[in-house]
Amino acid sequence: MLGRDSISRMDLSLIAAVIVVVAFGILMIYSAGFDPIDKINSGLYKKQILWFIIGMVFLLFLSVINYKQLGDYALYIYGAMFLVLVVTTFFGRPIRGTSAWLSFGIFSIQPSEFMKLASVILLAKYLELKERDISKFRELLIPFLIIFIPVLVILKQPDFGTACIFIPVLFTMLFVAGADVSHLVAIISAASIALIFPMIITYREWAGYTGSNFLLDLFVNKDVLFTVSGIILAIAAAAFTAHYFFKKPFLRRIYIPASVFSMGLMLSVVIQKLFKVYQKKRILVFLNPDLDPHGSGYNIIQSKVAIGSGGIAGKGFLQGTQSQLGFLPEKTTDFVFSVVAEEFGLIGSVILLGLLAFIIFRGLQIALSTKDKFGALLATGITSIVFFHILINIGMVIGIMPVTGLPLCFVSYGGSNLFMAMMGMGILNSISMNRSMY
Amino acid sequence: MLEAFRKRMFVFGGSVALVFLILFIQLVNLQVVHREEYTFKAKMNMENYIPIPAPRGEIYDRYYNIDNSGKVLVSNRPSFNLTLVPESFENKKEIRDVLVKLSGFVKFDIEEVMSEIKKGNPWERVIIKDDVSFETVTKVASHRYLFPNINWEDAPVRVYNYGDIFAHAIGYIGSINKSEYKKLKDSGYKYYQSLGKSGIEKQYDKLLRGEDGQIRRIVDVKNRTEGEEVGKDPLSGNNLRLTLDFDVQKAAFDALGNNRGTVVVIKPSTGEILTMVSKPSYDPNLIISRDNDELLEQLYNDKLKPFLNRSIQSKYPPASTFKLVTSIAALETEKTHPSKRYTCTGKYTLKGFKDHDFFCFRVHGSLDLYEAIGKSCSSYFYQLGYKVGPTSIMKYASYLGLEEKTNVDIPGEIQGFVPSKKWKLKTFGQPWFDGDTINMSIGQGFLAVTPIGMANMLCGIVNNGIVYKPHLLKEVYSPDNKKLVYTPEKQKLREIPLSPITLDTIKKGMRKSVTMGSSGRLSYLKVPICGKTGTAQTRSKRQENKSQHAWFLGYAPFEGSADQAVVVAVFIEYGEWGAVAAVPVAEKIFAKLIEKNYFKKD
Repeated sequence: MLGRDSISRMDLSLIAAVIVVVAFGILMIYSAGFDPIDKINSGLYKKQILWFIIGMVFLLFLSVINYKQLGDYALYIYGAMFLVLVVTTFFGRPIRGTSAWLSFGIFSIQPSEFMKLASVILLAKYLELKERDISKFRELLIPFLIIFIPVLVILKQPDFGTACIFIPVLFTMLFVAGADVSHLVAIISAASIALIFPMIITYREWAGYTGSNFLLDLFVNKDVLFTVSGIILAIAAAAFTAHYFFKKPFLRRIYIPASVFSMGLMLSVVIQKLFKVYQKKRILVFLNPDLDPHGSGYNIIQSKVAIGSGGIAGKGFLQGTQSQLGFLPEKTTDFVFSVVAEEFGLIGSVILLGLLAFIIFRGLQIALSTKDKFGALLATGITSIVFFHILINIGMVIGIMPVTGLPLCFVSYGGSNLFMAMMGMGILNSISMNRSMY
Repeated sequence: MLEAFRKRMFVFGGSVALVFLILFIQLVNLQVVHREEYTFKAKMNMENYIPIPAPRGEIYDRYYNIDNSGKVLVSNRPSFNLTLVPESFENKKEIRDVLVKLSGFVKFDIEEVMSEIKKGNPWERVIIKDDVSFETVTKVASHRYLFPNINWEDAPVRVYNYGDIFAHAIGYIGSINKSEYKKLKDSGYKYYQSLGKSGIEKQYDKLLRGEDGQIRRIVDVKNRTEGEEVGKDPLSGNNLRLTLDFDVQKAAFDALGNNRGTVVVIKPSTGEILTMVSKPSYDPNLIISRDNDELLEQLYNDKLKPFLNRSIQSKYPPASTFKLVTSIAALETEKTHPSKRYTCTGKYTLKGFKDHDFFCFRVHGSLDLYEAIGKSCSSYFYQLGYKVGPTSIMKYASYLGLEEKTNVDIPGEIQGFVPSKKWKLKTFGQPWFDGDTINMSIGQGFLAVTPIGMANMLCGIVNNGIVYKPHLLKEVYSPDNKKLVYTPEKQKLREIPLSPITLDTIKKGMRKSVTMGSSGRLSYLKVPICGKTGTAQTRSKRQENKSQHAWFLGYAPFEGSADQAVVVAVFIEYGEWGAVAAVPVAEKIFAKLIEKNYFKKD
């Protein structure tokens, strides 16, 4: 299968960049696993090397398979992965309060990681089929179902971080596939309205405000919320009906924002019920880390101390005091970038950032140069999965994004995420190898 | 359609580029712009400074280092605290297991330690047992493998070698409290340190405390030590030599017996205090021990006020000892001369709107001023005081320093009180009556003086008008006692221009008190002694069926160089009669002073 010909057509620069970044990660996991007091290493890096080797096999395997076959089986892949996800979520044994892991004795996998790829494949296929109709609002329903059905299951686990990554990927793919921008803006507006009130209420409760606020008290009461959103919805319906008969353009300006606002209010009731208090608190802690200096705020403070104290040249390999002495939490997974920045300084962190940027832009380049619509959308989807991991993870460790607990693709310790990312790279490679053939 | 896709891909690609730019900018912001701030925070995380307590200076009596009779009054005993940091254990159960093993070596209350751990911050060290001997620590250290996270620290214990005898003069130390810390943190005091709480310990804390050393530890998040080094050696405190004479102090302490009262002995030529005793007393060793809350409360609530240093912190009517002041006022204003005679009929009647009788305790007949002082005849002083008038008496009481602090070098001194006409009008809404003057001439009424103030007044007379500040600190030595660091100079407090006739009259009168008056017990001593007793009527309710305080004020030798002289003041609360209660105490003190050759001519 891996003939001389296919090797020569492989995207070697992409694969090389992936290998260097994973090796970088293994080095940092080695460093983070070292205990300077007992002078022993936890040995986690050895496992990561094993995951890397298996990941390479996946990558090469998917490289030589024609990605079009993935499109043909997209629904089956999605269905199978979803089944595994449901089984894991509802029948799996919880680990640290999260039913995200499917255990096979000596190792366990995280199905939600692979769900990311499966969702993107199905979404790319669907958007290819609906290429001409996607600018219609009602055609957005299926893409939203494709994404939000697994998201709801993942939220049930609960794994807030993983669920988060699906949404920007969905919007990116809808955007490049040609959805009407005003539709996307309307949806985002409704979602923002839905989020704002529960957040303010949680903040007030948490920060210990006891005084009542007339407006906010109204929004705590779900009957009031339903009534208000119902009235607005009625206005929207009336305007829509009028528009249907009279075709006056100003009526559009009434019913569209009114329905967006009404939807937002209704959703806020759902969110108030659905989101766990700790999830709402996390977003608030991001907005103001001082709210929780001992919890997740503490993690961010320690991460920033690690990164900042690394300076330009870094403290040296195995010399990072924040990571070596344990002040930096989750240093092999969520905060592995902080270890890089502490031990190798700005030079190291910019090199890593550059390599990651290279992978992303290479992915976008492949998407652009692919004449096949499915291939282009799939490449965009996979690239955006990796990109949003980078944005959310690095953004978090340097203190400009919320604490969502997402790994940094290729670098963080963990088999499932590494497999997912390397499989994605394999598919990208396959698209790259086949792009000139159509 | 394809063009639209390309356009949107470029928008997305542009956003991606923007995101990477923002990430890069924030990295530069953290790692270049704010590098110093975060480097400092990283250092704060991993560096942990453990103080090495500086040995506090020792305190000696006046003969230490001069001959072998000197005494170490306060010293330090090496001792250790066994400690643990809860965070360095996996869980509470592991702590308990280790403590159970440890209790095989040292006795302590496991439950108490566990509740202490529950209360505190897991990163803060908890004392398992204080005051552990070196031998015990060695035993624990050699079984280190059994107690991996049990630590120990130096915690020398202050030892007050003579306990209650020197309690009020020397004071004691204690943990710094919140308000003290707020005041003193700028002068380098730390929240975990001890400081002097009263007496010499408080006054000279900065000399005694030295400077704590530091061990710099690199610790991980669980407070495990990666490495440690001595960052700074501790600097021991200076040793102090006091002016107190151990033997005289002890004699005074013993002589007071179970009485409540005080003795102050001062050398007028320098202001050196040889003795400062106050009773009832307390044992500072008990105060500084760790579990002393109950004892402290008991002492604080004690009606007899053991913490009160009666020599400087309480004031009483001076009674007949004030007759010296009335005499001085009369002589200095030339309203009388020493041989002026008045007759005592046992009472003195003040003529007025309504006649009022003032009584003397005996019928003395005709006497001159010498005899009047010697026999303490009240009738004589009623008449003399009436003649001199209140303003002059008040003025001379003030000249002699009775309404000022002596500024003795221990904290807490209060000032005496001399009334004025204005004060009386303001306080009682009444003018000054002649009866008030009569009362004041024999030291009764509104007057109130501290025992040290009274002693200091006599110092002025004995030292021919020059008064030095009474003080307890003689010399300051380096920690190894090899170097004399500092000798406080004697400080002149005031100079009272008293005429030689006045001085001579007072001294002769006081001598007569020994040869023919109420201080007669002192006449057999080998050195001629001068004295004046006093019996103060109190306004407060009777206690133990007695309503009078006993005073003795005296000095020796009668005639001789002022450099040799020593002033003794004895005050006994509810002692009833000066002659009965105070003079025998003075007798023992003078005997000890004579024994120790204070009055021997060179």
